Amino acid sequence: MGTLNGYLLVSGLLFTIGLTGVMVRRNIIIIFMCLELMLSAANLTLVAFSRFGLVNGLPNHHGQLLVFFTITVAAAEVAVGLAIIVALYRAKQTVHVEDLKSLGG
Amino acid sequence: MPAYFLEIAIVLLGLGLLMVDAFATTLDRRLLGHLGIAGVAAVLAGLVFGVDSSASEPLWGFYATDTAALFYKGLALVCTLLVLVLALEYAPVLESYRDGRPGRRGLGEFLCLPLFLCAGLMWMASMTDLLGLFVALETVTITFYVVVAYMRRNLGSLEAGVKYLILGALSTGFLLYGLAWLFGLTGQTNLAAIQTVLVDWKGDTTPLLFTMALLMVGLSFKVGAAPFQFWIPDVYQGAPTPITAFLSVGSKAAGFIVLIRLLEPLLASPIRHAVLLMLGVLAGATLIVGNLAAISQSNFKRLLAYSSIAHAGFLLMALAAGQPAGGVSPNGVVALYLGTYLVMTMLAFAVLVIVRKAGGSDELTAFNGLSQRSPFLAFALVLAMASLAGVPLTAGFFGKFFSLVLIAGAGQWALLTVAVVAAACGFYYYFKVIRCMYWNDPVSEAPPLVFSQLTRVAIILLCVAVVVLGVYPKPLTCLLAP
Repeated sequence: MGTLNGYLLVSGLLFTIGLTGVMVRRNIIIIFMCLELMLSAANLTLVAFSRFGLVNGLPNHHGQLLVFFTITVAAAEVAVGLAIIVALYRAKQTVHVEDLKSLGG
Repeated sequence: MPAYFLEIAIVLLGLGLLMVDAFATTLDRRLLGHLGIAGVAAVLAGLVFGVDSSASEPLWGFYATDTAALFYKGLALVCTLLVLVLALEYAPVLESYRDGRPGRRGLGEFLCLPLFLCAGLMWMASMTDLLGLFVALETVTITFYVVVAYMRRNLGSLEAGVKYLILGALSTGFLLYGLAWLFGLTGQTNLAAIQTVLVDWKGDTTPLLFTMALLMVGLSFKVGAAPFQFWIPDVYQGAPTPITAFLSVGSKAAGFIVLIRLLEPLLASPIRHAVLLMLGVLAGATLIVGNLAAISQSNFKRLLAYSSIAHAGFLLMALAAGQPAGGVSPNGVVALYLGTYLVMTMLAFAVLVIVRKAGGSDELTAFNGLSQRSPFLAFALVLAMASLAGVPLTAGFFGKFFSLVLIAGAGQWALLTVAVVAAACGFYYYFKVIRCMYWNDPVSEAPPLVFSQLTRVAIILLCVAVVVLGVYPKPLTCLLAP
């Protein structure tokens, strides 16, 4: 088993990769995957802090509880998000951000 | 009755109406809206008369029923009530952008979803635990994704939905990562316990600053603070108008409730000065961006979007003061500001819904000569615009006035100057709307403006509220005490 710093480094890397992907990529599906990566990074952080922050010799269960809820929330977000992206594809036949230009003042 | 019965009642009402929508196939869907309005009004009466704020023991530490929590619950309920009225008025436009037989175009669900938003907002007002705060915020955000993209044959609505989805999820990512670090540093998820740890923080403040930055980025997206405000105009323009109204009031209130709850432990910690500095910078940038960009807008919905950014700037400025001044507290001013902001924004959106339904456009030119087509609506919009600009004797004056008092009390003169200039800019673009209505001639053969008696009553009540709160703000000033 590694150290807390190791886990935090990996989760920080995951978060950065996700954020970079959101800003650089142009395909909405890939952007959406990168967003999920960011949420996973946060979950990994929570689990790592929970496992290494011992309370009376046991892992701190508060963090693990939070992870269960975030996984559920992320699943709900994916369900709604993919539905919206499919609706967009059916209307416009595209999932590229450059083609989203019908709004503006 | 414990306060959490109210949320349970709203959720049951929403589920019940969804069941009716699913099984009563021949029913006129408008009836669901009327039932929803009656139900929300009943719950609001329950909140005002029947809540025993000492009776929530089974949820220790999770659930606060202080004055602020009850006030924001009321705000959510009033907002939902008005959104349902507007949604009924907007129904013909909504149905024209949906597939299916007449009467089976999803109007029923559209009238039920605001109830779930309302329940999420009410939970959020009371949550004092990171877990509950996050889940309540996501309940609201995910429901907003659905309703923003609701007009599936309208490209604008779909694009707005996708933009809101991506930027909303991005802000959730930042916020959750920040919450994870906050948990990691303190080992607690309860905000009161976190505060106890942070007050005695002896170690390095770098991780605290990192956590604070993540939380601020996440919440800046939610409240629409510059430089994270760029999604607001597009999403507001594309969403169905009643939902834009809900976003502009409900989503903003949600962001500020979470911000206030999370700031409390951070402001008690050794990084207090850094937090206040960051809030001040955000407030200044938001005031400048919101007001300057609003000046050139020719679309009324986008104008209101930039106006909501500008108001977020004033709200952030009140928080950036960080200390009470002149007998008012920052959190109290935010509550008062959001209360008056609800009234005037809803009034503006109510008129917009009616004009949009008749003319098919959100452009400012659709308001040309409104004073001749309907003096009543023109007068209502004048009141709304004057109040948004902050003219004395209207509701909008006191929010701006008290946030200026706070920032002067804190001695932040640079921010005060920016805010005064921003408020002056506001007069220009709000009065541009009034000029359209009274000085420009209407388009020939402009269709008549029709609206229901229910909407008329709502507009009259909102007009009365704007004037009464401007002359006699006593009902809201009880929130101000430090």
